[in-house]
Parts: sequence; structure tokens; C-alpha cells
Amino acid sequence: MDAPANPRQKNFVTGLIILGLIFIIFFGLRTARAFRQFREHRPPPPSAAEEIETDVNLIRDWMTIPFVSKMYHVKPHLLFEALEIPEQGNREKSLRQLNEEYYPQAEGIVIEKVKAAVQAAITSRPDQVPVLPETPVIP
Amino acid sequence: MSDFLLTQIINYGAPILGVVVFLSALGIPFPATAIMIAVGAFSREGFLPWHTTGLVALICVVLGDCLGYGLGYYVRGPVLRRFGDSERWIKAESFFQQRGGMSILLTRFLVTGIASPVNIIAGTSNISFRTFLFYDFVGESIWVLGYGGLGYLFGNQWEVVSEFISSFGGLIIGLVLLGVGIWLGMRRLQYIENAKKKVPEL
Repeated sequence: MDAPANPRQKNFVTGLIILGLIFIIFFGLRTARAFRQFREHRPPPPSAAEEIETDVNLIRDWMTIPFVSKMYHVKPHLLFEALEIPEQGNREKSLRQLNEEYYPQAEGIVIEKVKAAVQAAITSRPDQVPVLPETPVIP
Repeated sequence: MSDFLLTQIINYGAPILGVVVFLSALGIPFPATAIMIAVGAFSREGFLPWHTTGLVALICVVLGDCLGYGLGYYVRGPVLRRFGDSERWIKAESFFQQRGGMSILLTRFLVTGIASPVNIIAGTSNISFRTFLFYDFVGESIWVLGYGGLGYLFGNQWEVVSEFISSFGGLIIGLVLLGVGIWLGMRRLQYIENAKKKVPEL
């Protein structure tokens, strides 16, 4: 360094090293955990893109009803009927928004109702084997 | 934020993705890489057309990067008036002119967290716009095709890939910070050693 060494430089260098170590420990642990999960998953075969999704555990609260409907090949009006809400004005809202708007006292009820409706629709198909929703394990 | 953006992308498609990656290139902390992986998965499942979506993302992210470069270019005057004569500035500028291309390239898809500052530094350090655009375009193409392709490959399992990539990105930033810290520390120690040797013995 060209300028005389001073405490500010020392603090800056120490800060960089400490910050780097914190990042490495925090993200290193997260990377290791994510890698374990990643290894358990294999890319689906190319033909799977044409298959109809049946695993309702993949439904997330950022999804919209038309998105879920297209993903699982279920008519959107069936899902709106299951939620007992009008289709008009709700097509672009996420499941979370619908929950906050129509069921503010029951957190997560919309996603559960949608999962149940999708599963019922899949079960009613003659050639489909549904993937059941995850149930909590009671110790 | 990520969930809100995903909802908007499935509602409005490529235009929203374009806005997100453009703002992200300017330094707004959007999870652009995770979104790119998700977009690849949506394309696989037929929600978005992969070619136009990819093209819109590439054009918008390159435009955002160029705006960052432009900002750096226009603040070059005041920066030079303030630091232009210092030996450190001259060294830093020379270093960036020699290795700036690789820095631009790698920060597009590997250390994406520092891409925006690198755009501004590139503009300030007199690296030519043509060189910047070349490395930027190549790097961003790798980003769009690489991460979008991963999402496309993994389809509905994209969240697992996204979690791994974002954690790995944080790990890389940590390694860079540690490396820079150690390098500066060693230079500082060397400087102190040299200064001690120069002091004449009484």
C-alpha cells in the first residue's frame, strides 16, 4: 500500500476478512444443505414436460387459479367454486391474496382447498394416480 | 418480494420479466437469478414461450447494464478531478483495462451480486463501450441460457435448483471478500515490513 498504514486500513481489512468468513460459514452451510436436496432430485425426462402434473404438493401460495388450473389441467371454474369466490376480478390474484381477502381469519385455507379440489379432479380421471398431499407426521 | 414477482410474471409474462431484470441490472436487489430459473421452468410447462421470453430478458438486462456503464461514464469527469492524479487510481484503472473484460464476464453469471458496481466502474475506468458490450452480451447470454436452461431442465423441481444456486452465489461472494481481505492484509504487512527496514539504525 502506498499510503502509510493506519488503523482505518487495518479495520477495513479485518472487517473484510470477518465478513468473508461469516458469508462462507452461513452460505456454506446453506449450500451443503441445498446440495443434499439437489442430489436427491434428478431432472425429469424430456417427455415429462408433456405429462400432466399430479403432485399437489407443488402448489404454492404465489400461484394464481388460472396457473394452477393450467398446470394440473383442471377447469378454473371448479377451483373458484371450491373456494366459493367469484372468478370475476380474482383471476390475477395469488392464492395468498385470495386468502387474505376472503378468509382473513383462516391462514392457509385457500391453498388447502385448492389442493383438495385439484386432487379430487385428478382422482376422478380414470387413468391418473394422484400424489397425496403431505400430512404432518405425529410422533 | 420473490413471490410477488413470480405472481406478476405468470400474469403478465415477458414484459414484467424484462422490467425486473432491467432494474436488477441497475442494482435494485431483485432475486433475478432465481426468477430466471423459475421462468425456465414455466417455459417447460408451456406457460411462457422460451424464445421470446429469453430474448426479452437478454435485451433488457443488457440495456440495464449499459445504463450502469453510462452512469459510470458520465461521472468519470468529477471522479478524475478528485482522484485522477493519484497513483492508486492510475493503477486501478490500468488493472481494470487489462482484466476488466474477465471481471465483466464473470460478474454476469458467477458473482452476480457485484455486477452493478462493476458496470459503473467499467464506465468510469475508460474501458471502451464496444469491449464492455461484447463481454456483457456474452456473459448475460450465459446467464439467461444457463439459468433459464437449468429451470427448463428441472421443470417443477426448479425451487431445489434455485436454492442451491443462490446459496452457492453467497458462498462465492464470501470467498471473494475473504480473498480480497487476505490480499490487502498481506500487502499491508509487507508495507509495514518495508517501512521498518527503511528506518536507519541508530
